[in-house]
Amino acid sequence: MNRNVIVVLAVVVGITALLLVGKRASRPPESANAANVNATQNSAAPAQGPGDPPRGSMAPAFELKNIANGKPVQLSSFRGKAVLLNFWATWCGPCKIEMPWLVDLQKKYGPQGLEIVGVAMDDAEDKEIADFARKMGVNYTVLKGTEKVGDLYGGVDRLPLTYYIDRSGKVVDEIVGLASESAIEDDVKRALGPGQANSTAATGEK
Amino acid sequence: MKRHRLTWAIFIAILLTCTLGAQESSTPQGRTFVTFVSANNAVVSPGHSAPVQFTFRVQEPYHINSSKPLAEELIPTQLHFSLPGEVAIGKMQYPAGKLMSFPFDPDTKLSVYSGDFIIRGMVMAPIKVGIGTYTIHGELKYQACDNNACYPPKKLPFTFNVKVGSGGKARRSTRHS
Repeated sequence: MNRNVIVVLAVVVGITALLLVGKRASRPPESANAANVNATQNSAAPAQGPGDPPRGSMAPAFELKNIANGKPVQLSSFRGKAVLLNFWATWCGPCKIEMPWLVDLQKKYGPQGLEIVGVAMDDAEDKEIADFARKMGVNYTVLKGTEKVGDLYGGVDRLPLTYYIDRSGKVVDEIVGLASESAIEDDVKRALGPGQANSTAATGEK
Repeated sequence: MKRHRLTWAIFIAILLTCTLGAQESSTPQGRTFVTFVSANNAVVSPGHSAPVQFTFRVQEPYHINSSKPLAEELIPTQLHFSLPGEVAIGKMQYPAGKLMSFPFDPDTKLSVYSGDFIIRGMVMAPIKVGIGTYTIHGELKYQACDNNACYPPKKLPFTFNVKVGSGGKARRSTRHS
């Protein structure tokens, strides 16, 4: 084979390999336990995207502003509780549908250690988001989302997007789009864990 | 000759590499919800106005809010232009949205566009404008959903030409915006 062709092919392979390695390196780190997780995917949910935190991995840490009082809230402050992390927006119709369900679930499972955390991916003013949440009767923490945090969770290119995080901070499931109320409740139970319904939970700052 | 062959080979190699890279980095954010189909490249005489229309296509299975959604928190579809100064566009007429309900909320009607829709307007040229063809940059701002999820607001850029010359079918402009 012509030497020039070999050189060119080597350059192509090299650059392509660098691109692939760079792309992989930009993803959130996967937990070593990811392969051992037995979480089943909800039938309503599409497959995970390439940048999403995998099931079994630690949910990416973040700090966001609480819409209600402007105070910073860290995801780690909920450690010891099961967290339903719900990305939503005021302009998202399906998000509005599940909000009353989340309100009911917070009432029902809150005493057992469930913490529902809404992350509003809106460009709207805080007051506008807070007013909307109040109108919807939201009884759980609502944070103002940022693009940076969205990127940690796979880019959040579709709403609603919900992560179910267990008491140790690991992702047990992810649902993209609107799921049924019963599917959401099943995932809440999975996040709470078997036989831990009445365990003492750490309190997170609200 | 040999040097030429090498240059071409390197060029093709770089092209191939970029294509592979682009495929690898393709994300759902690059999803296409709406495409620009066409604009009637308007011909307008100086001091006159002429109708212009823009056709867009909402891809299956998506819908976007109309220009007048039924709830205040919903993001309306809007058309914006970067005008070169020589011509103006105004009197925009958005089509009425289709009143539809979706599986996520069967009891609520939303005003949406789906499939093809046409936005109409008037292009106006002042009397002292130079004869010629002007390329205008437009941008459609919209927010799409499907039956199960919604997607962040997007902007669709497009261009079209306005020819300013004599002989165009036009009506005398009474007001420039």
